Amino acid sequence: MPAGASWLLNLKARMIRFDNVTKIYKGETRAVNAVTLNIEKGEFVFLVGPSGSGKSTMLRLMTCEEKVTDGNIHVAGKDLSKLTSWRVPYLRRNIGSVFQDFKLLPNKTVYQNVAFALEVIGRPENVIRTQVPAILELVGLEDKHRRFPDELSGGEQQRVSVARAFVNRPLILLADEPTGNLDPDTSEELTSLLDRINRTGTTVVMATHDQAIVNRMRRRVVALRHGELVRDEQRGAYGGETGPAEAAATGPAEAAASQPADGDNP
Amino acid sequence: MSRIRYFARETWTNIRRNLTLTFAAILTVAVGVMLVGMGLMAGYASGNALDRWEGGVQFEVFLNPQIDPSQIDALGIELQNHPEIDRIEFFSSEEAYALVSQQMADQPELLAQVSPEALPASYRVVPRSVESELIESLAAQFRQRPGVMSVQTGREEVDAIRTWFTSFQGIVLLLSIVLSGASVMLIFNSIRVAMFARRREIEVMKLVGATNSFIRFPFMLEGMLHGLIGGIIGAIAAGALRGHVEGLFSRSEILAFFRSFVVTSSQFTTVVIITVIAGVVVGILGSAFAASRFLDV
Ligand SMILES: Nc1ncnc2c1ncn2[C@@H]1O[C@H](COP(=O)(O)OP(=O)(O)OP(=O)(O)O)[C@@H](O)[C@H]1O
Ligand SMILES: [Mg+2]
Repeated sequence: MPAGASWLLNLKARMIRFDNVTKIYKGETRAVNAVTLNIEKGEFVFLVGPSGSGKSTMLRLMTCEEKVTDGNIHVAGKDLSKLTSWRVPYLRRNIGSVFQDFKLLPNKTVYQNVAFALEVIGRPENVIRTQVPAILELVGLEDKHRRFPDELSGGEQQRVSVARAFVNRPLILLADEPTGNLDPDTSEELTSLLDRINRTGTTVVMATHDQAIVNRMRRRVVALRHGELVRDEQRGAYGGETGPAEAAATGPAEAAASQPADGDNP
Repeated sequence: MSRIRYFARETWTNIRRNLTLTFAAILTVAVGVMLVGMGLMAGYASGNALDRWEGGVQFEVFLNPQIDPSQIDALGIELQNHPEIDRIEFFSSEEAYALVSQQMADQPELLAQVSPEALPASYRVVPRSVESELIESLAAQFRQRPGVMSVQTGREEVDAIRTWFTSFQGIVLLLSIVLSGASVMLIFNSIRVAMFARRREIEVMKLVGATNSFIRFPFMLEGMLHGLIGGIIGAIAAGALRGHVEGLFSRSEILAFFRSFVVTSSQFTTVVIITVIAGVVVGILGSAFAASRFLDV
């Protein structure tokens, strides 16, 4: 049955799947409201929307830091509602996370910060000794591996945090406003680093307010507003979600239909 | 290998980071555990002593001072021929006086008020059996005989000593429970401080997918180490106490009575093992509480 086979292939390629997901905090704030979303393997997705629209919540749901109130999430082939709490760490080994505030350990050097991520998941020493220098070279910090975080610029610190998130070669990289503390040029550099990582086949989801980057990259854009998905475009721009609701007139169905899945870059 | 080195390093940094708290926790464990040891040793010692007394138990038949010498002999023969009785020994009033004057050598004015005639003569009786039931019924038989003033068995004394030791043990047990509770709380607190100091590391570990048990392990190890060190110190203190008390008993004439209160070395080994285990358990409990309170996903 060819139809069945392609359905199976689709399921395999699907990295992240939200089925009618709702998240209500403490019975009050409806942070995510009935969101249905599919992200395929190897995609680069910008998550945009005004402050409080639920971007960070979406990312925290994917890493099981928060539980859905309603609906279903699949990440890397795992049904998160069926994931027992002791399996959660193994899910997280498939997901790298980068944050606006870097979350680097101040008392460890660049090398130690990156090595720490492998150490604490029990990787053997010889793996650590080869992987860490390789990833530091990828992010362009091989000659600064002995520095401490406070001896680095913000952009360099964020690259260390990307190195830490990617050193275990996760399937997915989640970045929550990674350029929020960086100047425009450094933001460009960091985004192109994420782009390079994406080209190795890693699925990247980046929540951002950075209009210039979204507009320049021309990648898939998923826009949220008050926790609802209001726009989903394959080669989108930072749209008018901050304006009236009519700005989202190009509905998700229309946008998705007009673009081929996983558009290849020119 | 890398894992062992990681745990060793993390645990050592934790301990170094809050030395005062660690010290307080270890000391409380030591005192609590020492009390556990004391209670156990008191139990063993009194048990040993009572065993020995009950084994060599005798009773004493005191005679009326007005008794006829022929009656004394008749009673002696009857006792001697009794099937339940092993042997007897006669103490005259003079012999009793000699014993008393020896005991009261340093209180001559008290001794002056005692005359040899006032002291009753007696038979000391060693029964064949050591069963206290049997001895009691035997004593009851002779209490009725003419010329007998009274019959004293060791039972009252043994019972009194046993009660005394039981309540002593009860108090020590209570104290050690209170102190163990305090140690659990102190270890809980010191582990909590360690976790707070390392909250950034913990956050990163969760982020990159370290398992809960991996995150907990260094803290559990630290708590267990507190307990183990405290337990060892407590056991050493209990050993020192044992040596001191036994030395005191053997040197002092006043405490000579207590000389049979000794703990055998195999019993002492048991005490050491139990106290050290108690320390470790306290450490594990304290850190497990802290881990479940502050390390959940
Ligand atoms: N832990 C929480 N408990 C209660 N409410 C929360 C919690 N986290 C977020 N919220 C609420 O949920 C809504 C969505 O928050 P979220 O952090 O996902 O937004 P965001 O799109 O990431 O915003 P920003 O762009 O400012 O980072 C907000 O109204 C916020 O106040
Ligand atoms: Mg956010």
